[in-house]
Amino acid sequence: MAEKFHSELKNLKTETLEMAHLGRFMLRTAVDALIRQDPNLAETVIARKEEIRQMEIQLEEHCYQLIALNQPMAKDMRVIACTLKVITASLRIGRYGKVIANIVKKISDLPHIANLMSIPHMADLVIEMIDDSIKAYENDTIEMISDFSTRDDTIDSLRQSIFREGITYMMEDPRNITRCTNYILVARYLERCADHACKIAENVQYMHTGERIEIH
Amino acid sequence: MSESAIITTNNVNLWYSDKQALESVSMTIPKNKVTALIGPSGCGKSTLLRCFNRLNDLIDCVKISGEILLDNENIHATGTDVVMLRKKVGMVFQKPNPFPKSIYENVAYGPRVHGVKDKTELDKIVEQSLHHAALWDEVRDRLHDSALGLSGGQQQRLCIARTLAVEPEVILMDEPCSALDPIATAKIENLINLLKQDYTVIIVTHNMQQAARVSDYTGFMYLGKLIECGKTVEIFEHPKEELTENYITGRFG
Repeated sequence: MAEKFHSELKNLKTETLEMAHLGRFMLRTAVDALIRQDPNLAETVIARKEEIRQMEIQLEEHCYQLIALNQPMAKDMRVIACTLKVITASLRIGRYGKVIANIVKKISDLPHIANLMSIPHMADLVIEMIDDSIKAYENDTIEMISDFSTRDDTIDSLRQSIFREGITYMMEDPRNITRCTNYILVARYLERCADHACKIAENVQYMHTGERIEIH
Repeated sequence: MSESAIITTNNVNLWYSDKQALESVSMTIPKNKVTALIGPSGCGKSTLLRCFNRLNDLIDCVKISGEILLDNENIHATGTDVVMLRKKVGMVFQKPNPFPKSIYENVAYGPRVHGVKDKTELDKIVEQSLHHAALWDEVRDRLHDSALGLSGGQQQRLCIARTLAVEPEVILMDEPCSALDPIATAKIENLINLLKQDYTVIIVTHNMQQAARVSDYTGFMYLGKLIECGKTVEIFEHPKEELTENYITGRFG
């Protein structure tokens, strides 16, 4: 019985990784669409919102069934607890991708202001954090998430910098307001995605060691 | 364990002839708490349990070394009254084993042996013990019926009442629910939770979910050794030893 359970747990993790990769893909593609001002590419992100939602429902159900039928303990229980958090975080990351894709459709008709300020760089850093948190979950290791606190501070600083820069461009010319407001929103969404990567990292730490940490 | 200890074992070793069944077991049992002993078959958990009221003395080939302290007194010290020890440390077994007597007589038997003769006092003890064992309401109208007419779960609670009647400090339970259905098991588990207000309970169980549900502390034993002992929530959430982790997640045993 234990073997069957552990094989199901492995399947659950594989399926959760698929969902995590989809969430990451939606965010990455939405940012690419923003950079390239490509509404068609943005549409491909929006088209997958139902798919990721269905994955969330099915994977959560899978977790609950494993708990109900096997009463997992110790590491097994921590794997499922962490998986539930990864599912939620992945859905949120995917949804932020969808929201950014919607913004792309609204602001693609006019050229970017200041080459999108630091948004492309910020997006790269956030995607790296998401990648590392997913890898840490996949391989059950904590080395690559040990510096998440510092990396999250960098993301927060970039959001503030984009906010200040955006305000400056808005003050210079009111015609910049729509685009700059959307840039500030995108920066905020990216910052939230980094927070979700941190949430995954905190839970991987718990899964790996049984100790709870908080990444600020 | 920070709570005051009622039982302490120091380097307890036990042999059945040449076969060593316990190896350097050192642990403390906190007072008014439920401690569960878990581990695969043959790991020594029942043997350890039987050490606490010297029930192993009844087996000829058993040899014990080390120290077991009950209320800071060595239970193997010369002059220890084993009958009094077993009064202090009562036991409930895997299979309900009521005497082939009435419900009343089952509970009154122990106090009588210990010298209580007064009928009014015996009546009081019987009622209180059955109340404590959560059985009174089910048997109050048939106290003089045979105990063998009770259901398995009721018989087990009667055995608990019989143990309580002599006012023990510690109650040892050796797989008390393994012969019971889930409803009777739930009643015994609720009872264990109530009993710890007045008694210390040590329970041996194969059912890890039961250990997790009812106990405050858990000790994991393997091949006669106590591998890990600590708060139940810690043992079942993040055990320190890999062996414990592997056992409770079903990777062996």
